[in-house]
Amino acid sequence: MIFDLSTLFGLGVAYLAILFGIAFVTDRGWIPQRITQHPLVYVLSLGVFASVWSYYAATGNAFRDGFGYLAPFIGISLAFLLSPLMLRPILNITKSYQLSSMADLLAFRYRSPWAGTLTTLVMLIGVTPLLSLQIQAVANTVGILTTEASQTTLAITFCLLITLFAIFFGTGRGSGREKHEGLVLAIAFESVVKLFALLAVGLFSVYAGFGGFDAMNQWLIEQPELLRQLKEPSPPGTFQITALLFFTAAVAMPHMFYMTFNENNDPKALNLASWALPLYFLLLSLPVFPILWAGLKSGSTSPMEYYPVTMGIEYNSEIFTLIGFIGGVSAASGLIIVITLALSTMCLNHLILPIYQPNAGQNIYRWLLWRRRLLITALIWGGFLFYYLPDDKLSVRAIGNVAFIASLQFLPAIIALLYWPRGNKKGFLAGLSIGIAIWFVFLMLPVATGTNYFTLANLSSREIIALSLICNVTLFVLVSLFTRSSDEEKASADICSLDTLRRRNQSGLSAKSPQEFIAKLTKPLGQRTATREVLKALADLKIDSQESRPHAMRLLRGRLEANLSGLLGPAIAHDLIDRFLPYNIQSDNYSTDINVIESRIEAYRSNLSGMAADLDNLRRYHRQVLLELPLGVCSLGPQNQIVMWNRALEELTGITNEEVVGSQLDEIGEPWCSIILNFTHGENAHQHKQVVQVKGSKRYISLHKAVIEKSSAHQIQQDGVVILLEDLTETELLEEELTHSERLASIGRLAAGVAHEIGNPITGIACLAQNIRDETDSDELRSMARQIIEQTDRTSRIVQSLVNFAHSGSHLTEKTREIVDIEECIDEAIALISLNKKSKDIRYKIACFPGARMLGDSQRLLQVLVNLINNAQDASPAHSTITIECKKIASSVEISVSDEGSGIPETIKDRVFEPFFTTKEPGEGTGLGLSLVYSIVENLDGHIDIMSPTRQSENPGTRVILSFPCYDEAKVEQ
Amino acid sequence: MYIPPSTLIILVFSYLLFLLSTDWVMQEAGAWYRPFIVSLFVIIVAAWAYREQNSDDL
Repeated sequence: MIFDLSTLFGLGVAYLAILFGIAFVTDRGWIPQRITQHPLVYVLSLGVFASVWSYYAATGNAFRDGFGYLAPFIGISLAFLLSPLMLRPILNITKSYQLSSMADLLAFRYRSPWAGTLTTLVMLIGVTPLLSLQIQAVANTVGILTTEASQTTLAITFCLLITLFAIFFGTGRGSGREKHEGLVLAIAFESVVKLFALLAVGLFSVYAGFGGFDAMNQWLIEQPELLRQLKEPSPPGTFQITALLFFTAAVAMPHMFYMTFNENNDPKALNLASWALPLYFLLLSLPVFPILWAGLKSGSTSPMEYYPVTMGIEYNSEIFTLIGFIGGVSAASGLIIVITLALSTMCLNHLILPIYQPNAGQNIYRWLLWRRRLLITALIWGGFLFYYLPDDKLSVRAIGNVAFIASLQFLPAIIALLYWPRGNKKGFLAGLSIGIAIWFVFLMLPVATGTNYFTLANLSSREIIALSLICNVTLFVLVSLFTRSSDEEKASADICSLDTLRRRNQSGLSAKSPQEFIAKLTKPLGQRTATREVLKALADLKIDSQESRPHAMRLLRGRLEANLSGLLGPAIAHDLIDRFLPYNIQSDNYSTDINVIESRIEAYRSNLSGMAADLDNLRRYHRQVLLELPLGVCSLGPQNQIVMWNRALEELTGITNEEVVGSQLDEIGEPWCSIILNFTHGENAHQHKQVVQVKGSKRYISLHKAVIEKSSAHQIQQDGVVILLEDLTETELLEEELTHSERLASIGRLAAGVAHEIGNPITGIACLAQNIRDETDSDELRSMARQIIEQTDRTSRIVQSLVNFAHSGSHLTEKTREIVDIEECIDEAIALISLNKKSKDIRYKIACFPGARMLGDSQRLLQVLVNLINNAQDASPAHSTITIECKKIASSVEISVSDEGSGIPETIKDRVFEPFFTTKEPGEGTGLGLSLVYSIVENLDGHIDIMSPTRQSENPGTRVILSFPCYDEAKVEQ
Repeated sequence: MYIPPSTLIILVFSYLLFLLSTDWVMQEAGAWYRPFIVSLFVIIVAAWAYREQNSDDL
């Protein structure tokens, strides 16, 4: 069966056009996000790993190794089944620090640009033959199906289409950090296509080749040799080495790293992938045997690797031949696209950028985008050349298989990255170098040149692989143990190690605001890029651009480094940030930091059991006691680093725990910094009633401190101070009020005595003056007597006021409790005031809610209102309005009297309730009015407040507000 | 090194299943798809073990 080239070409192009279409409509947002971001799409996109090896090579492997062909499937499945041990921690790190490849991860962990460069070079050597294998598979398949065109022409066309797809949908138009949803959905579609194709060809093989499953089993029973081969154990170690190789490839291979970590939208999707991807591989491996057996039964002369395509030819079915062909194209194209995308970023970050960086004047994003596109093109066509140039196509396959083994050399570094913080870059580079050297000399060189230059005691390939791995691990461990790690490396190791958590350096930064960040980054990145990156980091963190608190600036620095790492790679980003946004003080290795120890325990709390869980409960209890203590608690570590900041202190200072814990004390801002710092350095262990101005209001704070001695446990080297801050403001205000009341009471008592003593003689003088006035004939004497009487009247009125004032505070036991109609009282007060002929032309505006009532004494309330309205009238200019309002607020009734005068000056506000204090002209007022009002209101269980100026900005006058408990009929009846 | 309970379940189950099923899978007269049945059991247990998020996860 021979196909027209046009048919195959049309089919191949149509298939790739569908991929273009899927990616295009997804990128345009025409497919809902609930579909594009569904975890199943993520799982299927991971099916990119099932490339030519699973689609074509599996049949040949199944014939040679029997069940041993399942080793690659088992290896990759194990990596996902055990995802919490390796994949999830790596996902957490890559997400936090925007690491896009294995090279990024290793460069970040071992803090060495060389780690990234070496990893990229090894991957480049290992992956290029793999790319050529995919191209070869597609070209060979077409070569089997048609004789019309040369395989090279077909390979060129295939590479051209794949290059266009990768450039259009893999690089995007942004900074390169964004997710490629179109690409992911297209790759997921490819996974479905190849699974469907293989299952369809498998079923076809069973029914067309044998007539059904029973017939196939019957045929199998008649083939004892085949059955023996099927279940014959592989040479010792082969299965394990292959499984380990594919287990490592799940993380180390660029395409798997890219899909698993870079394009992951939701970490929870990895949970689904943990079992769904093994299921996918199980389904993919299931039809391999039926296809193999059907091919053997048919006596096919085609290479076994191509049975999935040739089954249709053998059993005369065009449709299944084409299905097999499309499945093969999808397996090859998906891998090429993803692998070149991943590798282009690695090459850019670790081979090009360390040597040449764009200058600040250039558009960095555009520069990076085009470099990435060029690299993708170069990689795909490099793969093509690797396929095209060698005469012996079989050697390409052999080199591809051997090159794949190189990825195994990264296994020790990956495990150490997560589980051995002691491992360092020297160990990693030494281990990797020896492993790669053995691989190259004893595996790669013989296969590539066809000559064994060096022999190693006739060891088999799997033994050489094992040896390279053993040497790698041994050297890695020994060098790491006998060399020192830098502080930076230790910090990275702490971050990556499963036993520790992300920590921030809490030292001060040289840049104090986002504007300074932009200014400092302008030099390396240019104004436009620096501004864009800083604004992006601010938006990511939801921080305002005017923010300048040290805590926020540290967060901004961390975010900027992570974002730039996604753009330029971790090595360049770290170097750039360290150079242009340095910390003032390099912090120590803070593995002994109490907060770090605490957060570490907190993170693994659910994993603790037995005594450890009991101790943790105890720790949490004690911590909770301190956090919930109604006194402010601040604990300082060495160099005044804030270790604890409890909730009461958060309320008192308005500074959250998150903002200050780990910072230096001098970063918390005034006034708290000076207060705590002075007290810490002072000799006194207690300081009472320190006055602090907080947001314009006065607060009274008492401070107490205790020194924390160094712990005997070497893990906790705490040496600091614990400070208690007691807020006494409420108590102080109550005391002030009490003092004021006492003073009023004493003045009242004094006034009563004075009134009594003065009243009697005055009455006598007045009587005598009246006698003189009535009995004398002298006009002059009568006039003088009249003046005496007037003065004594005035004195009597003052005395009467004093008596009233004195009595107002001493009638608590004789309270009159009647229902007072407030509106009536207000009307009566205004009526009384209007009787005064000297009163100005004032308007009264009354707004009282219907049925405003309270329990009390109507005469006293009247007295209060007359006083207040009188004062308002005195303060008001002519023709102004005095507003008297009565509102019901919850269970209180609020009466307010507002004038449109000039208000009460700030300097005398505190004194207006003092007896004898007046601003009126001598003889105009006694200064007892408001004092009297104050006493009466208190007697009526009310409260008085003065707002001057009133809140209405247009009115600078005064508003006096009286609050009384509202009359509640039901309550009173009870 | 901390191993989450879900992973521990899968590890222990797979190990026991491997011990118990090796002979059954390799029987000469046994069906060719027996290894796939064993694998399917492991995947089902994994699906059950990972059915809900571990509290330590992101």
